[in-house]
Amino acid sequence: MSMIEFHGVEKYYGKFHALKDINLTIDRGEVVTVIGPSGSGKSTLLRTINGLEHITEGELIVNDFDLADKHTDMNKIRKNVGMVFQHFNLYANKTVLENITLGPTLVLHRPKDEVQKEAMALLDMVGLVDQAHKFPAALSGGQKQRVAIARSLAMKPRAILFDEPTSALDPEMIGDVLDVMQKIAKQGMTMVVVTHEMGFAQRVGDRIVFMADGQILEDSRDVKGFFEHPQEPRAQEFISKIFNH
Amino acid sequence: MQNFIDAYSQVNLAFLLRGLWVTVEVSVTSIFFSFLIGTLLGIARYVKVRFFSSLVGFLIDLLRNLPLLLILFFTYFALPKIGIRLGVIPASIVAMTVFESAMLAEIVRSGINAVPIGQMEAARSNGLSYAQAMIQIILPQAFKKMIPPIVSQFISLVKDTSLATIILLPELTYHAQIVYGQNANYAIPMFVALAVLYFIANYTLSIGARLINRRLNHA
Repeated sequence: MSMIEFHGVEKYYGKFHALKDINLTIDRGEVVTVIGPSGSGKSTLLRTINGLEHITEGELIVNDFDLADKHTDMNKIRKNVGMVFQHFNLYANKTVLENITLGPTLVLHRPKDEVQKEAMALLDMVGLVDQAHKFPAALSGGQKQRVAIARSLAMKPRAILFDEPTSALDPEMIGDVLDVMQKIAKQGMTMVVVTHEMGFAQRVGDRIVFMADGQILEDSRDVKGFFEHPQEPRAQEFISKIFNH
Repeated sequence: MQNFIDAYSQVNLAFLLRGLWVTVEVSVTSIFFSFLIGTLLGIARYVKVRFFSSLVGFLIDLLRNLPLLLILFFTYFALPKIGIRLGVIPASIVAMTVFESAMLAEIVRSGINAVPIGQMEAARSNGLSYAQAMIQIILPQAFKKMIPPIVSQFISLVKDTSLATIILLPELTYHAQIVYGQNANYAIPMFVALAVLYFIANYTLSIGARLINRRLNHA
């Protein structure tokens, strides 16, 4: 069963060709890591999946909804597809707990007490129960990102998109966030993770996608094999640059 | 010294306070309406509704670049020619509201612009509609940033009500003029009284804003 399907997707920003003939099918429960040099279209690819960017051409099916169709209600897709950002984007005017409960109460119309109980359980899972009533400004980057993950889990999504979730964090904080992501992966969540964490890609990823210049150059379910023997010259260059330091 | 004692007779002070009352009345009413209208116009400019937003933008630019005095003339002397006859107080309120709404709309728009784009992206990704994201996330943060410029704008508004002496609005400055018009020796005492009264009115406004700001910071 596929969760996300790209068929011949093209994306232009004016004249700039950001995504070139993207074909990619992601199954339910799959953990896909997307790597590649900056400006290669990784984030753009991710952002098309929940409609933050519109595709110019081609077909994009997410959770059985057609994103190219103008009549598709984006909110229906976004209810089912969570997103975790590089810069966390926690609601600055809401407490940690409110950040998590806002979506389920306002969008899913679920009872507040029930949602709060679940939110506290999620905070427990990410190790931040004692921060529930603080505002985001009082948290460290790693804490913010774990709250952001809890916020997207609270919607009980079918899939979660991660846009460089650890790139803005101090090295010491990265481990905590990756641990949480690994837990979620083990629970069978469909995950698309744009990242520079090659260790995470190898340990947790079921599949690796390498992008450069708006194209998918490699797409492999043999993650270890990809890192040992990348096929494309561009991928070889990328891998050797990363591991030579 | 004797001039001061004579100038601040009970009758004159009561007369000044009646003027102050009109100043407050016109200011508070204009603040109320211009805050409402300015917020709506500012949002309309931000969300970019085709045609409507450009029209609003044009009107705002037009009004912001005209002297308030001219707008007062138009509402009091020109509107009657097309059948809209307003008394001095309503005319002053309309002119002030029209002008201040335009100024506030720009403050509101720039306040919304100052909220990082990631807040809207996160809210939409969370499943919130555009309107829900605006009401729950964007506007509360924007208003917090807007408080200082809005307060400055309202302080100008209170002071600018004195421009309406030109259409004989019986406000504070006008009443002071009447008092020293009868006795030129009262001019300086009246100026001092004006300074004190305007200061008290505007300083109260600033303190009120500070209290609101403090509550928002704790909320």
